[in-house]
Amino acid sequence: MLDILFFSGLIMYFASMVMLFGGNVFKKEKLLTIAWYVFLVGLALETAYLIARGIVAGRLPLSNQFEFAASFSWGIGIMLVFMHYKFHTEWIEAIAIAMTFLILSYAAFQPRAVNDLMPALRSFWFGFHIGSAAFSYSAFMLAGAGGIRYILAYKKDPENEKLEQMDYFVYRLISFGLLLLTITILTGAIWAEKAWSAFWTWDPKEVWALITWILYAIYLHLRITRKKTGTFMAWYAIIAVPVVLFTFIGVNTIMPGLHSYGAIINDLL
Amino acid sequence: MADVMKKVMKFIQSMTFGLILLGLIVVLSMIGSVIPQNEAVMTYVRNYPSFYQVILTLQLNQIFTSWYFLLLSAMLCVNLFFCSIIRIRKLVQADPLAAAKSNLPMIELTEQGIHNVKEVLRKNHCKEENGIYYKNLFGRYGSFLTHLGILLTVIFWGLAMYLPKTIDSTCMPKEYVLLEDGTRIGVDSFSIEDADGKLDYSSVIKIALPDGSESDWTEIKVNHPASFHGYAVYQQTYGTTGRITVKDGKGNEDSFYVEANDFLSADGKNGILYDNLYPGIDETDGKMTLITNTSGSYPNPVYVFTTVIDSKQEEVMLAFPGDEYEIGEYTFIFEQPVEYPGLRIKKTPVVVNYLLMLAFLIMTVGLYLTFFLQPVVVKVTDTGYAIAGSKQEGIRLQLKEATRNEVKEAC
Repeated sequence: MLDILFFSGLIMYFASMVMLFGGNVFKKEKLLTIAWYVFLVGLALETAYLIARGIVAGRLPLSNQFEFAASFSWGIGIMLVFMHYKFHTEWIEAIAIAMTFLILSYAAFQPRAVNDLMPALRSFWFGFHIGSAAFSYSAFMLAGAGGIRYILAYKKDPENEKLEQMDYFVYRLISFGLLLLTITILTGAIWAEKAWSAFWTWDPKEVWALITWILYAIYLHLRITRKKTGTFMAWYAIIAVPVVLFTFIGVNTIMPGLHSYGAIINDLL
Repeated sequence: MADVMKKVMKFIQSMTFGLILLGLIVVLSMIGSVIPQNEAVMTYVRNYPSFYQVILTLQLNQIFTSWYFLLLSAMLCVNLFFCSIIRIRKLVQADPLAAAKSNLPMIELTEQGIHNVKEVLRKNHCKEENGIYYKNLFGRYGSFLTHLGILLTVIFWGLAMYLPKTIDSTCMPKEYVLLEDGTRIGVDSFSIEDADGKLDYSSVIKIALPDGSESDWTEIKVNHPASFHGYAVYQQTYGTTGRITVKDGKGNEDSFYVEANDFLSADGKNGILYDNLYPGIDETDGKMTLITNTSGSYPNPVYVFTTVIDSKQEEVMLAFPGDEYEIGEYTFIFEQPVEYPGLRIKKTPVVVNYLLMLAFLIMTVGLYLTFFLQPVVVKVTDTGYAIAGSKQEGIRLQLKEATRNEVKEAC
């Protein structure tokens, strides 16, 4: 039953992505509207899946690579819905929904078994630390999507009136992402002190979270104080996305450390 | 000379310098995450035969404690100091509405345009005072608080990392660890699994100080250390060890925790040479193999030992808890294995931890103010409006949108 919900959601995202692509290429407004509703159905299915999984597991579904990826893609979806209805950001949707689909597809290739939470993860900080990380990565991904959309729109028409709004949204998404990433790092530090006795251990995950934080802090300094805008900042937001993905996937895959859950149990519980 | 010093000081206080430092820290951090840190020298010689000398010479094997990384961090602190503390006086004294009271270049609007502007500002919950609309004035402290928070975080983090004294020690249940200052950490019990068989890693410990004061018996688990008068005790690792009781023919007996290659003998010639304790035996496919690894309690522990007769190793034997083996007048009884904790004991000035958390809070509040409570100051007259300051992008876009067709053409 859980798998049916999960894969139905994935298929809906795929269908929405294809329809958005078709709608944009053939300029079919109706198709774009349908694509949005198909996406909403996909998001509802993914939401139901995550809730059901949380009930089965008796905890938040954030404990391993699969659950984090699913929550990460869900975070993008939820933020997209908020932006759609609050700010009418239809321009970002095609790329953002493709990102949602790709991240959930990555999750589909991870082991999906529901396991007990290992002792190291049984903490008050579990939800705050990992939940804020999922939403912060989501915001950065959306900023990257906004950056791509900006570049495409700029190439088509450098005088496009929407460019300023796109640029502003990328900046706001990065501001939001950075605040959440700060919360992730700080709650992680407090948790690490309780679990491993040190606020910071230069574990690869910590180091890459710090690198990500600094990269986006530099972006915001350039944006706010140096007044950098336009294509340069759009490219910056795009180029930072692989860093976010590396912090999420690359570090866990190729850099063993205290965050490589599953491998640490004998050494550090 | 004074000019040069002035220029240097100006550069040290600049954002450019801060960004360069951050960029360098990113590059060094990347290197530090790729090259394994704090390994034995031979590890680098073996894994990086072509450039291990470069790694060792440039301290790339301990990059985060290298002199240049610490220097960069110190310079970042100096830069942050000038970015935050120095500017606070000016910030506090300045009238946040001053810019709006001065002669700002106005955007001339139609009457409808003015109405639209006021409507947008009203929807944004701006207050009005003599034609100046404003909100979130406290938000101007956001950047200061963020930089102050980062500065304090770096300082207190450094203290929290390097001030504490940390000792790692294993301790058998019913025994204690004696520290240099006379403090004792007693362990009453330890269990790997809880009553339901789930991994739990739980110890019951007590901290007794040299002055006679002591904590209650407290259960510690990973994520739940015990604290008492500056000491914190963490559940860090664990182990399982064998225990053998030896009886002689006269009724005397003694028990030992055993380690690999322990030779239990009274005369040095006859006895048992203990090899190891294994979690269990796997007998699938009719083949018997010893299980060497488990994350929980040993389900079916097996002792492996060799009998030694007249200094000659005779036979490799297996024994289960409760089994007895006789050599000469001695009987060796294999007891239930004992699970024991590995504890991390940390003595730390607790106030530093609290100050660090305060720094975390300041930084988070600062970031929130900077990005989500940005000050809005807009001067509205009968003919147009002007936004004071250049950081109010959100309101600028809203007003631009609301007055799209209402801006008067410049003459």
